Amino acid sequence: MSETLKLTDEEIIEKVRSNDRDLYAVIIERYKNKLLRYATNLVHDDDKASHIVQDSLVKAYINLNGFNTKKKFSSWIYRIVHNEAMNVVKKYQNEVPILDDFDFESEQDITKDFEQKETAIYVEKCLNSIPLIYSEPLSLYYLDEKSYEEISDILRIPMGTVATRISRAKKLMKHICQKN
Amino acid sequence: MSKELKNITDNIMGQIHDKKIKMRPKMYFIVGSILTFVGLVSSVVVSVFLIGLMRFSLRAHGPMADYRLDQILSSFPWWAPIFSIIGLVVGIWLLRKYDFSFKVNFKVIIAGFILTVIVGGWVIDSIGLNDVLVRRGPMQGMMRQYMQDNNIQNGQGDGQGWMRNWEN
Repeated sequence: MSETLKLTDEEIIEKVRSNDRDLYAVIIERYKNKLLRYATNLVHDDDKASHIVQDSLVKAYINLNGFNTKKKFSSWIYRIVHNEAMNVVKKYQNEVPILDDFDFESEQDITKDFEQKETAIYVEKCLNSIPLIYSEPLSLYYLDEKSYEEISDILRIPMGTVATRISRAKKLMKHICQKN
Repeated sequence: MSKELKNITDNIMGQIHDKKIKMRPKMYFIVGSILTFVGLVSSVVVSVFLIGLMRFSLRAHGPMADYRLDQILSSFPWWAPIFSIIGLVVGIWLLRKYDFSFKVNFKVIIAGFILTVIVGGWVIDSIGLNDVLVRRGPMQGMMRQYMQDNNIQNGQGDGQGWMRNWEN
């Protein structure tokens, strides 16, 4: 099992495709939390986000033979989540999102925990105040630590556009957060 | 974090073991790629031919003459553009969903495609390449029918290109 954990995503995918289906669990474990955060940033609803993640991982499995292992699996699965989330966003466009609190697994004292929670909510509020076309690349870059190239693959926009959107998103964030 | 997410691994792996979800075979994706390719090629061929046919028709009847569009419509092989459109739509849908081949904007691709077809049709007609295609290519029967229906004689309405040496 420890040897499996050392394998890259693409190597695991190759094994899953050649009949070692149980290894797909490793992929799910690697990605489910990251994808949940990403989906939550897009739809602002924990329950919808977890459905999106589950549906995306199922879709990824069904279409695994269509994945090119020379590309990054990470970009591919994020792209699927993006597509699923956009469908949900379009479907519930008129609904006002209700933001749930995030869980923090920390041993810090209650004051620090509260401050951290407040900051996270504040940053999230700022992020949600800016249009999705700016907040999405920004969260991918800073929260999911994706490179410009990966963001370009996920969002299917040129790298120059990624850079421009991140730059504008930072300006917007600064403007909104300072105003509040 | 919702309960569902905590069980997500078990849920999905359970569905895989119970064979409720199955991987699509490689053939599905190969067929998708072939459909896209065939759709694209046949779209280009048919569209270029259509542009050439329109230019020829305009020359044959003259811009002020009675322009019988119904003749073009009745003799046009409608299965070809329908097949092209279906191929393109299915292929692009598959590519858009799970492939990274097309990172650029699809609107740009479609606009570029249409422009290429129009310019290609005009250039091919102007240099007379379609004369060869009409005499030997798969559109020969259709063009002959079109000329018979419209009582077009050899060289009529022709300044250059189409039918210059028809049946010579």
